[in-house]
Amino acid sequence: MDGSVKSLSQPTVLVERADLFSPLTALLVKCRKLGSPLMCLVAWEVIVRLGLINPFFCPAPTSIVRELYTLAFTGELWMHLYDSVSRAVYGYFLASLLGVGVGLAVAGSRVMEALLDPLIELIRPVSTFAVIPIFFIWFGIGDVSKVLIITKACFFPIVLNTIAGIRGVDPKLIQAARSLGAEGFTLWSRVLIPSALPVILTGMRVATSMSVTTLVGVEMLSADSGIGFMVIDAQRVFATEKMFAGILVLSALGFSFDRIARIIQHRVLAWHKGM
Amino acid sequence: MAFLEASKVSKSYRDKENREIVALSDFTLSVQEREFITIIGPSGCGKSSFLFLAAGLEPLTSGVLEFHGEPVTGPDPLSAMVFQEYLLFPWKTVQQNIEFGPELRHVPPDQRREVSGKLIKMVGLQGFEHRYPNELSGGMQQRVSIARALANNPKLILMDEPFGALDALTRETLQVELLKIWQQAKCTVLFVTHSISEAVYLADRVVVVSKRPGTIKEVVDIDLPRPRDREMFTSPRFIEYERYLKAMILDDI
Repeated sequence: MDGSVKSLSQPTVLVERADLFSPLTALLVKCRKLGSPLMCLVAWEVIVRLGLINPFFCPAPTSIVRELYTLAFTGELWMHLYDSVSRAVYGYFLASLLGVGVGLAVAGSRVMEALLDPLIELIRPVSTFAVIPIFFIWFGIGDVSKVLIITKACFFPIVLNTIAGIRGVDPKLIQAARSLGAEGFTLWSRVLIPSALPVILTGMRVATSMSVTTLVGVEMLSADSGIGFMVIDAQRVFATEKMFAGILVLSALGFSFDRIARIIQHRVLAWHKGM
Repeated sequence: MAFLEASKVSKSYRDKENREIVALSDFTLSVQEREFITIIGPSGCGKSSFLFLAAGLEPLTSGVLEFHGEPVTGPDPLSAMVFQEYLLFPWKTVQQNIEFGPELRHVPPDQRREVSGKLIKMVGLQGFEHRYPNELSGGMQQRVSIARALANNPKLILMDEPFGALDALTRETLQVELLKIWQQAKCTVLFVTHSISEAVYLADRVVVVSKRPGTIKEVVDIDLPRPRDREMFTSPRFIEYERYLKAMILDDI
């Protein structure tokens, strides 16, 4: 037998290292990334409390949190959050379906490539926000146009990564699969798509942040619900605490979307190197 | 009728600048059932091209190529290919990689498990069934690749420099094991290599291919007793074969 698996010795080393730390040190090490943001927050709070800044322009962190609590308690927050998340999720999944579908078609058929590739290249660089008025004219200012605008924004990273992923599959791996009897649909479903999956999922992860960015823009432009609307509406009536609370929620939304995408990516690609 | 019959096979393709490249020309070879044939020749002489043609992975330009009496038109479940780069499916475990062929042919799961279990034992990978390829060394990956090829129970195994990327020791071990596997699996092997000693050690016949366009220069019968062992490497006969083949290949460069 040649060579044993390299990683076998690693876990023991980790256990020994962990023993050297007291639980408190371990906790501190874990939290060290929180240090500088926390310091900023404290400084912010102190500056506002000392009256160095007018709280109307920049409310203290504690009052933002208090406002957030009130919003949660009255239910206003959940209503807006539900609308926002629905729009983002619908837009995102529609884009995933279309993006992967069109991507596979373009990568798999020369005819589709000739038909769709120029269109994709032409529409891709156009700013999503530039075409929002067109969507409003075509689909009204309701949820349909909002979802479709988010779809437009999320579609391109997904479609481009799907095409690149399939085209990037090692031609020799395809030959190996063919020599084992994989042809046609089986070759696609059992070899090409799994092989391209890391690249496709990267595109899908990039698209999650696109969905939140676009959601905010669309809701601020034209909506009567959603966190984006809540923020812009608060700004209009100079309710700065509410405005900051909404911005905090939107940041958390973007952050958690990316985290969820990352967890799924890692789960699916457990086999992949460097994951 | 030979088991694999190539007569006046030629293969040409176009490169990026659209120039015609003749990889093989006038390649004529009869392979008998259960023979172990090694193919050597200078780099880029088209010896690998012949394997791809025999595997049905690429169409020939002209000539006749027949496998068990029928012209080769596409991949045949009775033949399997092993590549230098292993080319395992990285998202499948060792066991799933090996069961890929039988799975495509709708072999029921319990029978698949039986086949893969037997093969894992044969290539000495017990305990690694549920590992992923990137957790294995190169030698172990190539063992999996060989087992994966054998899982379809092929009559013909086409090996394209399978041990080319391995270190010398692993290479020697795998050569010995391949001969054992070949005897157990009762199959025919076409084995392309750069190593003259490997070619002599493994083969019943060594096919020497000339530089591009590849044609057969000579087919040398290796009259060494089987089973073969590593001691043979230093026997006068072995060294004589090596010298002879080396002279013939160097003559071409």
